[in-house]
Amino acid sequence: MVIRTGVELGVELCCIPLKTPLMPASGTLSREALGEADGVYGAMLPKTATPRPRNGNPTPRIAETPAGMVNSIGLQNPGIDQFLQDLGAFDRGMPLFVSVAGDTVEEFRALCERLAGEERVDAVELNLSCPNVEHGGLTFCAGPASVAEVVSACRAALPDKPLLVKLTNEGVVGNSRAAEEAGADALTIINTIPALTVDPHGRRVLVRGGLSGPAIKPVALRAVYEVCGTVDIPVIGCGGITRGTDVAEFMLAGATAVQVGSASFVREPREILDEFVEYLKDANLGAVDLIGGLRDFSRSDR
Amino acid sequence: MKFYNVPIEDREEVGGYTLLRYRWRELPVEAGQFVMARAVGQPYSFDPFLARPLSFYDYDGEVASLLFEVRGNGTALLDNATESIEVSAPLGRGFRIDASGGRAALLGGGIGVAPLKVLGRRLDEIGVNHDVFLGFADAATARISTDFPGATVSTIDGSVGVPGTVLDAAMDLEGYAAVYACGPNPMLAAVKRAAGSGVCQLSVEERMGCGNGSCNGCVVPVRERGYVRSCVEGPVFEAEALAW
Repeated sequence: MVIRTGVELGVELCCIPLKTPLMPASGTLSREALGEADGVYGAMLPKTATPRPRNGNPTPRIAETPAGMVNSIGLQNPGIDQFLQDLGAFDRGMPLFVSVAGDTVEEFRALCERLAGEERVDAVELNLSCPNVEHGGLTFCAGPASVAEVVSACRAALPDKPLLVKLTNEGVVGNSRAAEEAGADALTIINTIPALTVDPHGRRVLVRGGLSGPAIKPVALRAVYEVCGTVDIPVIGCGGITRGTDVAEFMLAGATAVQVGSASFVREPREILDEFVEYLKDANLGAVDLIGGLRDFSRSDR
Repeated sequence: MKFYNVPIEDREEVGGYTLLRYRWRELPVEAGQFVMARAVGQPYSFDPFLARPLSFYDYDGEVASLLFEVRGNGTALLDNATESIEVSAPLGRGFRIDASGGRAALLGGGIGVAPLKVLGRRLDEIGVNHDVFLGFADAATARISTDFPGATVSTIDGSVGVPGTVLDAAMDLEGYAAVYACGPNPMLAAVKRAAGSGVCQLSVEERMGCGNGSCNGCVVPVRERGYVRSCVEGPVFEAEALAW
């Protein structure tokens, strides 16, 4: 699909041309809502697949918070076999990225090996940072050593496709450097932030999971800014992107592309793209001109 | 998620609930479908962040209505809206009406009476005889029952109608060819146990994030496998499919 807006929206990520710098954050765009992606997103990114089917967590799985929400879905998915059978629905005439997660390094490696031979898959994103799964998720993001171990194994299993690594905020600069040294082609910064909601009347935990939405945008923006100042590989910004100027802010901070997650629950992604186009028109810039383009009025930013 | 700005026709307080009517000519509505509703401007203030899932109470082709209880900030803002609100609709799978003939029972608990109005209207249109049983906490919330002529009413505090739950009012569900119910999940589980071998469809109430299947927050356990989303596969389920 040709996207005609009068401004240059295209960017290139790991040698993959994207018609726009927007893509869904994994796990936030259902098959039923795929029509919202057409002509808006530059790449498709379905919900994370794991080696075996996962039922996910019991409810309550979500709790609303000021300017955001906490979720603890628990990586509900049909497993990689069924995922690949159903993948056709996600072929929307744009590059297809696939997010995977395992409980062990070997599971991550095997998933990458499996996807290495899948022609339909243009890139693989490692979900190292989902904070919801006991024994998985956060442990891979716990520090540079474990990030390096899993990324190295996946790199070896996936020699010919771009390898993206999605990281959580904690320790993000050190983990980013470790992922780059272990062979990552790009980083997605950041996943949800570990968070808790409490029901004061029932005096119990409501949802213990990950915080997303506009509430985390400044945190994500700083992480992107710091990581882009540290690594040489491209960064995909993620965290609270809700309006067109949010896209611009992440790209100015150094991101090559961005992921839209919770915002798609409350807006049409097209509205965000339209606002971004308006911003670019007003600034008389193309999308690529923004990348890392913060004006250097003062380097005394402490 | 696409939201439509819809002009409010009128707003009425009915006991403990609010009945909000608005112009709706976008898409047809099935009994049991719902909307994600919010006050205008809410996504720009980001607090509350999410819209609220509310059943269609009624729809005549021109005007749709929502019946809701103010429980928090999101519903309070809807309650205060004067000019227009924003809705994403119609969403979900509604009741699959059994038109084969036998008498139907409609059961609503509390705010769960909401989808029964338009369901009763549809049953009338296709000539299916039905009885309506409505259960409430008290006399204030029971006031909406005046909008259901002929309904049998129960209240937990015994102030109106049959003392007890809606199932104390609907003594013999086994005799009905079809049972349709909406209310809190414990009530629905009790309806499932009390219903006979005929059609039994339950509209579940779950906390929802998006309403279009994307966030996976509103799941219910099913017998076949794990969880399914109440916003897309539901909110109305065949009782036998549910794992409770």
